[in-house]
Amino acid sequence: MRAPAPPQSLPFALVESGAKGLRLSAINAAARNFGLMRGQRLADARAAVPDLLTEQHEPEKDVTSLLGLCRWMERYSPWVAPDGRDGILLDVTGIPHLFGGETAMQKDMQNKLMAYGFSCRPGLAETIGAAWALARYATPFSTGDESLKALPIEALRIDTDAARTLRRLGLKTIGSLLSLPRASLARRFRGESIDENVLLRLDELQGHRHEALNAVNPPSSFMAHRALMEPVITHEGLQTILQSLTQNLCHDLEAKRQGALRLILKLFRSDGTRAQLPAGLSAPSNNAGHILRLLTPKLDSLDAGFGIDAMTLEARETAPMPQQQYGFTDGVNPKNLTELNDRVMNRQDQPLTRLQAVASHVPERAEMVAGFNETSQIPPSYPTQNHRPLLIFERPEPASVIAAVPDGPPMRLTWRRVTRRIVKSRGPERIAPEWWKLASGERPRDYYAIEDDQGRRYWLYRDGLYGEENQTPPKWFVHGLSG
Amino acid sequence: MRHHPMPPPAAAGPGIFAPRLSPLPQDHLDERQQAKHLVARLRDHISRIEGRIEKHQPPIYSRSERRSAPRWCFGLETIDRNLPETGLARAGLHDIAPLKYGDNAAAMAFALALAHGRLHVAGEKRPLLWCRIETEVREHGSLYGHGIETLGLPRQRFLTVTLRKPISLYWTLEEALKSGCLAAVIGDAAPQHETLTTTRRLSLAAAEGKSAGLLVFIQNYQGPTSSSSRWQVSTAPSQASSPDKSPGNPSWQITLSRIRSGKPGQWTVNWQKHHATHHFTLAPGLSGGTLYPGTPEIAGSRTTPEPALRAG
Repeated sequence: MRAPAPPQSLPFALVESGAKGLRLSAINAAARNFGLMRGQRLADARAAVPDLLTEQHEPEKDVTSLLGLCRWMERYSPWVAPDGRDGILLDVTGIPHLFGGETAMQKDMQNKLMAYGFSCRPGLAETIGAAWALARYATPFSTGDESLKALPIEALRIDTDAARTLRRLGLKTIGSLLSLPRASLARRFRGESIDENVLLRLDELQGHRHEALNAVNPPSSFMAHRALMEPVITHEGLQTILQSLTQNLCHDLEAKRQGALRLILKLFRSDGTRAQLPAGLSAPSNNAGHILRLLTPKLDSLDAGFGIDAMTLEARETAPMPQQQYGFTDGVNPKNLTELNDRVMNRQDQPLTRLQAVASHVPERAEMVAGFNETSQIPPSYPTQNHRPLLIFERPEPASVIAAVPDGPPMRLTWRRVTRRIVKSRGPERIAPEWWKLASGERPRDYYAIEDDQGRRYWLYRDGLYGEENQTPPKWFVHGLSG
Repeated sequence: MRHHPMPPPAAAGPGIFAPRLSPLPQDHLDERQQAKHLVARLRDHISRIEGRIEKHQPPIYSRSERRSAPRWCFGLETIDRNLPETGLARAGLHDIAPLKYGDNAAAMAFALALAHGRLHVAGEKRPLLWCRIETEVREHGSLYGHGIETLGLPRQRFLTVTLRKPISLYWTLEEALKSGCLAAVIGDAAPQHETLTTTRRLSLAAAEGKSAGLLVFIQNYQGPTSSSSRWQVSTAPSQASSPDKSPGNPSWQITLSRIRSGKPGQWTVNWQKHHATHHFTLAPGLSGGTLYPGTPEIAGSRTTPEPALRAG
């Protein structure tokens, strides 16, 4: 998007590799003046214009660039969506008068985009289909049914085959199609896809058939916005504005008895780019102090560029806030714990967790990590009378053990290159694999809790049994440590 | 901060730092008394600087008060008499370090046993948080809830979080201690990241949130920290409970190497975990406790007078 563009006066084209060599996928005005066309082969184009400048076309970059432009267009309307590879759709219902009328708004868009180096063709109509046609095929700023009727049939967003058929029949404008009876059109073009179905496209153009516009960022009902007279660049300045935005937002939320779950702070830089700082909460909150504490540290890493000239704080996701009072019956305030979790989560990206028991005999499956506030789902703990270690290795570590065959207790353990003499041991505790889990290749394990001559405790197992048929000899693993 | 009017120490009696230069009475007994007086006044002064005593008079606990006040202690007279009058600092920072490389699990288990006492101080309902660091999880394994339950801590009151960087760990520890919604916060601590500043911040945060902070070091550490007690833990062979030579209750040799307004000491304790109540016991045979070297004061107080030889 911001790569140095070639001078406007030189012919320039983007090329992509097609079925038969490189083809031009986009050309500038100068190249068009030389008679080049989109879809032309590069070899042919080079023959006609030897000093044609070319660059590889990267469609995925176009997509991200278009999305970025969509976000920028949010300054005109909150309801913006990308349209295909090269269009942006805006729902401007009730908006043009803010910019001095329909034509003035379109001119404003055009001027601003041209200042950023984009060329654009605006079109404004009652339906998406009509606006699409006007933007691409009509003279700029034309409106009304008459100008629509004069447009070529390609303006209907139909594919080339359908357009060719229509042209062969002598139907060259939308107006000529409209004068035909519907039944004949329906019979002739009953294609599977909408691009082949002329009648559907015609209905969409006229507004007989509804077409949805899915905005990239659906606007939230809770937001606080502040446009600034002068761009602000200092941390303190931004913090002050953030504080007042947070207070406004929390006031709105409180009035509706809602709490924010997901927040986005948008900072509009004066050069037209935008920064977004998201924050998440584990429980709905409308506590301004808490939300401010989540967002303020994020300002530290912000690149303010040439200054911020507008800020928006949005609550993207909200939930009803239960009216609760804490602190009378017990000393624990669950709200504080939630707020602590939010702070850790937003700053360090790691949640507070609980170790939740799971009904399984296999040690590594007997426990799962759960969110700290999922108390209701914790089953009554799954007590085991057998020894369990304080620390467990995610991957059991291989060790070499001297033990009496087939199932004597370990006498000597070599683990992490140190050999220990085992003086006390308890076991074996046999744990069979969970055959109903379909985990193939698991073997029964014999667990031993052992203590060496210095009093250090290990929890180790022998993977497999001696004398099993068609199996490799059993191996030993250290699975945990005890204090 | 409150300021208490107090006469300058030099005004009454000999100078503090140069008692030898001051004219002392020739009487030997009198000299000792004066020195005693001086030490008492210095102690008083220091404790007022540290802000531990609000009033001019040191707090006097009556017998009944001492029993009713929620104390955090071991429940063993031998160890508790070395702790301050009010037990371990409930809103302070405590260091726990393994003696050698292999003692890490023992240090962690001892930290949990200590925290068990903190969680069961009367009126305490808040949970416990253990902030772990990823490297340490890889080295010694992740905490296992079933094992924690065997040690006597209820799963419902145990929270954990694993951080990637030491700086994140200290930030989280400080936030957690400050939040006031946790009874105790345990953190894995690496000596190279442990400075007086960080620990001072942590102990201030602990005081603010009325939570206990326990730093479990990943290796032995003797450097300066601002914690109110420092423990060194190493494993000790457990007493086999049955004749089949199976490991008994966990047994640790603990060294209290530093304690504010207490006395250092060294003991071998067992953690009784196979009963409904979990508590410390002294290892039999050593119930008197081995003496901590370099504390002649204790040694002096312990020496029982030799029984007088009786002719006969």
